[in-house]
Amino acid sequence: MTVADRIETFRAALEEWLAGLYHGMITHPAYEKIEKEAEDVEDEFMLACFPDAFGIPSPVSYYTAELLPYLEDEFEAWERRLWDRESLMERKGQQYHF
Amino acid sequence: MEQFVFFGGKGGVGKTTVSCAYAYRCANAGLRTLVVSTDPAHSVSDVFGQQFGDDPESVDGVEGLDAMEIDPDDEMQRHLQEIREGLSEQVSAAMVSEINRQLEMSHGTPGAYEAALFDAFVGVMRDESEPYDRVVFDTAPTGSTLRLLGLPEFLGDWIDRLLYKRKQSIDLFEKAAIGDMEPRRLMDGDPVLERLQRRKEFFEFAGDTMRSDAAFFLVLNPDQLSVNETGRAIEGFTERDLHVRGLVANKLTPSPDDDEEGRGASYLREKVATERDRLDQVREEFDPPLVAEIESRTREVRGDVLSEVAAALDVETGPPVGARE
Repeated sequence: MTVADRIETFRAALEEWLAGLYHGMITHPAYEKIEKEAEDVEDEFMLACFPDAFGIPSPVSYYTAELLPYLEDEFEAWERRLWDRESLMERKGQQYHF
Repeated sequence: MEQFVFFGGKGGVGKTTVSCAYAYRCANAGLRTLVVSTDPAHSVSDVFGQQFGDDPESVDGVEGLDAMEIDPDDEMQRHLQEIREGLSEQVSAAMVSEINRQLEMSHGTPGAYEAALFDAFVGVMRDESEPYDRVVFDTAPTGSTLRLLGLPEFLGDWIDRLLYKRKQSIDLFEKAAIGDMEPRRLMDGDPVLERLQRRKEFFEFAGDTMRSDAAFFLVLNPDQLSVNETGRAIEGFTERDLHVRGLVANKLTPSPDDDEEGRGASYLREKVATERDRLDQVREEFDPPLVAEIESRTREVRGDVLSEVAAALDVETGPPVGARE
């Protein structure tokens, strides 16, 4: 193995490490954070569409019901998130990695 | 005159009679006319002595006149059924019952009935008005009609907000997908956005048509309650940027002949005097002109009596103005 080859191997390993480190420290938390934010906005959307799920009559739920066939994933995820979200603080706290 | 003519007013003032008489008059003037009842207590069938459904049917013995009665309950069932079919096509069996519960709930809310009615009458304006020169709407009593007419703008704003939220969340999901990851939702071809957009257009159509292609008339009786209610209704219409074209006074008491004496005659004379005061009040206080004064009939308004009533209506029946697409 020549010196050039050894440097090449070392550089490949270093690059992998750096990429992993970058992903773990920067991209992954960022991606997670944005996705959670997206879920939050989606929850607001669901709540605006179906407030009668909480006993608040809505003048448009007759119309938003038309969306139900297309909201399967959203609906399920929405319900799940509502169950295990204790407070807004907790939810927002999950978005930071201490 | 506009293609769409609405008759509204307090319950029991004779909106159906007046709108049928007007439709009759239009048909006699050679216009293809459709009279639509959106009042849940249908009585167009009674006026023409013939049963109508939710498709236009020609009225026996009157050339060029069709009638239909919209039943909001049927409309609601149809809507529910349509969504259910969508559900069974799109949604996995496990979620159907969950979502179904939500669906039932949204069709049981107080607004559902009005939404169904609104859908139905806008549907008539959009899809069924084509072959007609004039479409006459016999509407439900004032309060609910006003709410119905106020819906397009209100609902339009609401849909705008929903569209905004949906776009925002999809945009975030797309941003969250870093590198070559597949975003959880995509903006392109999102069926929810597409549906909302279609609804928005429906409301815009309704709002535009009612502002530019419809004329409103209010029917009233010569008593204080009815006059007050009419005043409030005119205000309500003005608030919604709609203008009441004219007022129709119905069920006026006929005055006795001069040589008649006795209790009956003096009762009538007194009543006519009070009513005249009310009508003067209407002429002075209200902006829309009084376009017809219809005496009360001893017989039910049907058949030949209808043509007498029609003759008393000083509402123009000219062909529709303004270009329509």
